[in-house]
Amino acid sequence: MGKLGKKARKFAKKKLQCVMRNNRKFKSRFKHKAASVNKKGRIGKSDSLSSEQHFEEKSVDNTIDAAAFSNCLDNIYGEDDADLMENGSEDESIVLQDSDCPYISDVELDNDKDSGEHAALSESNKDIHIKIVEKKQKLDRLLKKVPKFSKFLESRRADLQKSKNEDDSDDEGDTNYLNGVSTSEEHLNNRRVINSCTVDLWCWLVIEQPEGPALSNLLNVFQAACFYGFDLDEGQLHEFSDKKVFSKVLMFVLSEADGIFCKLLGVADSCSKASILKSMNTSEWENVRPFLRSYLKSCLLLLNQVTDGQILIFILSRIKSSIAFFAAFPSLTEFLIKILVHLWVTGEESLALCSFLVVREIALKLHSNWYDSCLMKTYKAFIGHSKFFEPGNHKKMDFLQNSIVELYSLDLQISCQKVFVSLQQLANILSQTIKTMKKDELKKIHNWQYINCISLWVKFIVCNIKDHDLQRLLSLSILIINGIAHLFPGLRYLPLRFKCVQMLNQLSFSSGVFIPVASFIFDFLDHNENITDTTRVKSCDFSSVLKVPKHLLKSCKFQEECIFSAIELLSAHFSQWRYHISFPELSTIPLILFKRFHEKLNNEAFRRQVKRFIDQVEQNKEYIERKRDVLSFSPGDLAAIDSFLQMEKSGCDCSFSKYYDSIQENSRSRIAQT
Amino acid sequence: MESHSPLYLFPLPRKTEERPIGGQHSLGFYLHGIEGPLEDDVDGASIINEDPGDFPPETCPDDLQISYHDCRFIERLTISEINTHTILSLTTGENSPENLEIFQKLRDRRRRERLLEANDTETNWCDATSPNPSGRVRHRSRKQTVNLHEVWNWRELGHGLKSPGLGRRGSSCRRRGRQLEPRRVRRDIVGRKWREVRELLQKNRPREEMSLDRFLFTNLADRDDDIAKVEKELSAEEVFARKKIKLAEVGMSLLEDPESNIKCLKELLHICNEKDHNIAKLGLMSLVAVFKDIIPGYRIRLPTEKELEMKVSKEIRQTRFYESTLLSSYKAYLLKLIALEEDPSFHCVAVRCMCILLDAVPHFNFRENLVAVVVRNLNSSDDVVRKLCCETLRSLFTNEGKHEGQVTLEAVLLISELVKAHDCHLHPDILEVFLSLKFDEDLGKARPKENAKVSKKKKRKKYLEQSNQLPSTDGKRRKHELMTKTREELNADMKSVSFTPDNDERRAAQSEILSAIFGTYFRIIRHCMDSSLSRPMLNDISSIRLGQHPLLGPCLTGLGKFSHLIDLDFMGALMGSLKKLAGHSGSHCGSTSNSLTVSEKLQCCIVAFRVMRNNLDALNVDLQEFYVQLYNLLLEYRPFRDRGDVLAEALKTMLWEGKQHDMHRAAAFVKRLATFSLSFGSPEALAALVTIKHLLLRNSKCRGLLENDPGGGSLSGLVVKYRPDASDPHLSGALASVLWELSLLSKHYNPSVSSAASSMLSTEGMNPSQTQAFLSTVSPTKAFEDLTTEQELFKAANKKFSPSRKIKSGNEFVLMNAEDVRKIESVVDEDVVEGKFEEHFKLLKDFDENERLRLELDRTSAAIRLYGEYRQQKKLKRKAKEDKKRKCL
Repeated sequence: MGKLGKKARKFAKKKLQCVMRNNRKFKSRFKHKAASVNKKGRIGKSDSLSSEQHFEEKSVDNTIDAAAFSNCLDNIYGEDDADLMENGSEDESIVLQDSDCPYISDVELDNDKDSGEHAALSESNKDIHIKIVEKKQKLDRLLKKVPKFSKFLESRRADLQKSKNEDDSDDEGDTNYLNGVSTSEEHLNNRRVINSCTVDLWCWLVIEQPEGPALSNLLNVFQAACFYGFDLDEGQLHEFSDKKVFSKVLMFVLSEADGIFCKLLGVADSCSKASILKSMNTSEWENVRPFLRSYLKSCLLLLNQVTDGQILIFILSRIKSSIAFFAAFPSLTEFLIKILVHLWVTGEESLALCSFLVVREIALKLHSNWYDSCLMKTYKAFIGHSKFFEPGNHKKMDFLQNSIVELYSLDLQISCQKVFVSLQQLANILSQTIKTMKKDELKKIHNWQYINCISLWVKFIVCNIKDHDLQRLLSLSILIINGIAHLFPGLRYLPLRFKCVQMLNQLSFSSGVFIPVASFIFDFLDHNENITDTTRVKSCDFSSVLKVPKHLLKSCKFQEECIFSAIELLSAHFSQWRYHISFPELSTIPLILFKRFHEKLNNEAFRRQVKRFIDQVEQNKEYIERKRDVLSFSPGDLAAIDSFLQMEKSGCDCSFSKYYDSIQENSRSRIAQT
Repeated sequence: MESHSPLYLFPLPRKTEERPIGGQHSLGFYLHGIEGPLEDDVDGASIINEDPGDFPPETCPDDLQISYHDCRFIERLTISEINTHTILSLTTGENSPENLEIFQKLRDRRRRERLLEANDTETNWCDATSPNPSGRVRHRSRKQTVNLHEVWNWRELGHGLKSPGLGRRGSSCRRRGRQLEPRRVRRDIVGRKWREVRELLQKNRPREEMSLDRFLFTNLADRDDDIAKVEKELSAEEVFARKKIKLAEVGMSLLEDPESNIKCLKELLHICNEKDHNIAKLGLMSLVAVFKDIIPGYRIRLPTEKELEMKVSKEIRQTRFYESTLLSSYKAYLLKLIALEEDPSFHCVAVRCMCILLDAVPHFNFRENLVAVVVRNLNSSDDVVRKLCCETLRSLFTNEGKHEGQVTLEAVLLISELVKAHDCHLHPDILEVFLSLKFDEDLGKARPKENAKVSKKKKRKKYLEQSNQLPSTDGKRRKHELMTKTREELNADMKSVSFTPDNDERRAAQSEILSAIFGTYFRIIRHCMDSSLSRPMLNDISSIRLGQHPLLGPCLTGLGKFSHLIDLDFMGALMGSLKKLAGHSGSHCGSTSNSLTVSEKLQCCIVAFRVMRNNLDALNVDLQEFYVQLYNLLLEYRPFRDRGDVLAEALKTMLWEGKQHDMHRAAAFVKRLATFSLSFGSPEALAALVTIKHLLLRNSKCRGLLENDPGGGSLSGLVVKYRPDASDPHLSGALASVLWELSLLSKHYNPSVSSAASSMLSTEGMNPSQTQAFLSTVSPTKAFEDLTTEQELFKAANKKFSPSRKIKSGNEFVLMNAEDVRKIESVVDEDVVEGKFEEHFKLLKDFDENERLRLELDRTSAAIRLYGEYRQQKKLKRKAKEDKKRKCL
């Protein structure tokens, strides 16, 4: 075994306990694995398993489609963790140096009674404790009664322990195991209990003279705290005397480390990346580097381990402030991004926002190296997460889209390429589908993933088209949306088509180009002839479905939703061009069709709505016509047309825009109702 | 041991026969043995090396080279016995694991069998016998069968032994262009090779016998149920393979020498009666191939009784016998096919056979029956069958040379009868067939002129003759009469000899075809018109699936295509019904008046225009009603429901190609189209814009629409103000309007549309002299096609994106509210976090504690358990002591 064996043993002493425990849990997976020669590799693997497991458990809690999601995450995290661990073990020796430093060994046992929160676990602990006491008493009685039994027990004890432990460590060599036990026992004696005085002293020392040995001790303790629970504490050099100490260490290091490192490196508080890079080669850097690494790594482990939202947010905000340091550690950065993206996609509101802010910080500060990776990872996570639509998911989806748009808007030079490639991919899928028109191909388009993707890019274009030349993206996305709408005719796909119209309206509004959308709305006007079913259907919300279920098609609610949505979309379209000189012509055909529809309609409430819409449009039409009649220029004079009614456009006290506002208000209240 | 034919030649799964027998190679497969030995025998290994995985290339059915490909295919099959996997993939196209499993078994079994067979080759080689129709067992000539099998064996051995000499020879033989080689020579070569093979075989025998003994020993040892099962399967397989071989042999002999082996046809026919469907199908397919090959290029006329009585030479007798046998068996075969067509399991095969025959030998006897069946199957609900029949008929119509146009007439008549019988509820494919008909327009015109000339000349000649030569001598006249008589006779002879049909006949046939077609078309139109009265009560699912007027679409297309051939007499009625169909009802809600879709109505308008343009150019009838229709249909059009290409076609035919337009009408259309393009997608918009541009260029007065002229009303005539919702273009008063639409259209997202619009607005754009060239190139249909989503997507997908130069690296938020975002961070309270950390610690510690306590509990309870053990041991010890004591005592 030689050198490797020694190292491995050392590693095993720290990590094996946890591995064993995990193995016990997931025996089925690893049971029949032959004892491998390369201990290190195995340890890495099992470690990755443990953290992977950790993630899986976590994602079960947080994600909607945990199964699908964890699938793709598994291996990524697995590899990464192993990597991290290995790197960590190399570094260990440097950080673990215990220089002489004041250490107060007086152990103050604290007896905390305030265990209100974790009552369940404490209760069970107490129960077990009582049982133990009972059994112990029984045993004592037995021993007293039969003194010879104690001898017998002694003789059998070793046996007993061995057999029990053999169960647990199937794949451990016996010799190795014994070694481990002996060393760990030996170790237990060496373990230092950290009490609050020591911590206070160290903190004070670190603040006073950062270069001193206290920093390394403190960081060691911090690391131990981060590993706490993740590893069994037998493997640790330090033990925390009580919870106060634990939280104190964590709080102090997390809140102060950034400033301390800045001081050590002699850079300004702002920690700009340039200064970090400059100081890369100095001797100071060489000294600080291991500490920094240990600190960041511990932070990440803690981040990976903790589930409480507020703690996570706190850690994230601390990480964010020292993000510039990550530039020196690419593997840590990669890991960080992965954790962040995961939290961003699965976390609840403020946590997700926080992790996004860190991602954005990375994109800003570590721009050149990590911007690409941020873009890709967030987009992939978004795609993976947007497969299904859940009623409560709307806000989250919006948030995800918004944050991606934010991220992509940081540097359009790079992101435009990515957006274009993604759009091309969507276009390819679409054209393939148009060619074959097969059912399962159509399903590729007709799902939330596809729709969410296109709406994401629409949002991106809408945000950026004013300041940038995104003509190509614009035309491609319009093309795709038109294609989608054409691919799914029929009343059942009305929600999908209305979504398309909505997107087209947004694009048109932001870019100022004219996109005709009226024809998308017309076809439903022909259908609504005999709605007989007035049974109370709960609701029919277009925003949450792509395809209307068949039984709803004849329902009153569906018709209502159709009419309201159609009117809303058309008025959005009209309100954009309400001051354009050709508004009367634009509204001609829709008006004719809506009037016919109005004649056929027999529900009085709907009739009123439609009538109001027609009246408003006609009013605006007449207004434009009146203004137009006194003009002297011809349609060829584009400059004059552009300036036509420019004055009125700036003010918004036009009746039609008021009408449009009220329509929007209505629809909002309708959504709120449902 | 009944038979040991070389089964391994056809290691095919049963599945093979179920797949569609479409490809050439599959047909080839059925004929495997027929051609195999005819070609020089080929060293299979070399072929495999050349082309291991692909199917042989497809060939045209008439091509005789088929045999070569078949041969190759069979050879590959033979060789691939080594690799069952390939066979499966070759024959079924799939390698399901079950199949493979079965095959593994079968293959093993076959190996053993082969060994057995090698043992008594001499006795078993002649086993390829077949029961005659008479029931007697007929031994085929021994030499032939032996040779045949030897060839197979040789291949096997040649591959196994890797005999270099043979391999080289085989491939070299193949390299000599086999197609050119006379058959006899080839046969000689084959014979020589066979001999060599036999020698080789004899040499190798002892070794095989040895292994056979070993095999028998082991075989007897482990005979269990499994093997029995496999054997059962195997025997079926065996029989199947044997029959296939027989089929191949018979077919081969027929092709080799049809004259002498014509009787074999009966044998083949007999095979078709097999109970085993697969064999029967194989037989049917083989017969198709045989017939296709041996049927002569003329129609056989059986000799009359009188002729039979006459004494004829031996050769003629032979030919007569040959022909009559051929004809009778062909008839029997067809009867069989027609009978089988009713059988659902044979339906597809039977129809396919008939299609092949009709396509290959449309001139031959009994084609009428073939045509009838094929036409009947045009309405099949099975897509494959229907397409097959359609293709056959199309090829019949296009290759009229094969049958002098007679079959075309028959088919057309049958189709029209079918339409009549089914009351126009058939699959649209049935009428699509008509579109591939060709009519020689010169036939009708050239001939009468000639006649007229001739007659004129003749008249003059006669006149001259009468005037001049009347007094001439009798001898001269007689001579003259004789001359004319002989000339006429000669002409008649020439006509009868030459194969080209008479122009008159062809013209008659054509006019008959035409009248049948138009009869059908008119029937459909009439049916559509009064369909409201007679909705079919058929509870046939297919008719519901097909829609209301399944045949109207192809009917209108056909009318459009052949509109120049319509007789003037029908024209009035046709136009009237088209007008009705187009929905000329006065009310703007056209959808209630009849049930035609917008596309169909547009098609009606298009057809009407085509018909009029082709026939009544000179009359210059104004098709006002159709214009009105189009004007209103523009409002009815829905991009998802109706066909945009039809709309573009209508714009093209009615407005773009139209010669001259009434000023008011043109203006009305210009205005409506411009309005239309504001509401609809870019392809429709561009088609409309192209039309507008054309109209504006043609009508100088309409160009006033581009100017905002307050006095424009002077032109508007009756209507002073523009009424956009008018249903009559004449009453819309469009001349009083201004084309403001173009300014909005110039902001259109699609660059083609916006540029088209702005080019019209610019002053130069409307200069006729400049834009003439541009205008003539783009028609509305072309414009529409260019901008369809498919095309655009295709274009877009292939482009590369070069990013814009404008760079803005801001760290400002674009979408989110920066204030809100920043607030989030300040929300976190450090004390709370501290508390949480404490909780976290507590939780972890409790976990830890729990773990430890559990361990201890286990330990203690184990100790207590040990006590029991301890006591038992003690007891034992005590007992032992007591025993000892007792013993001692």
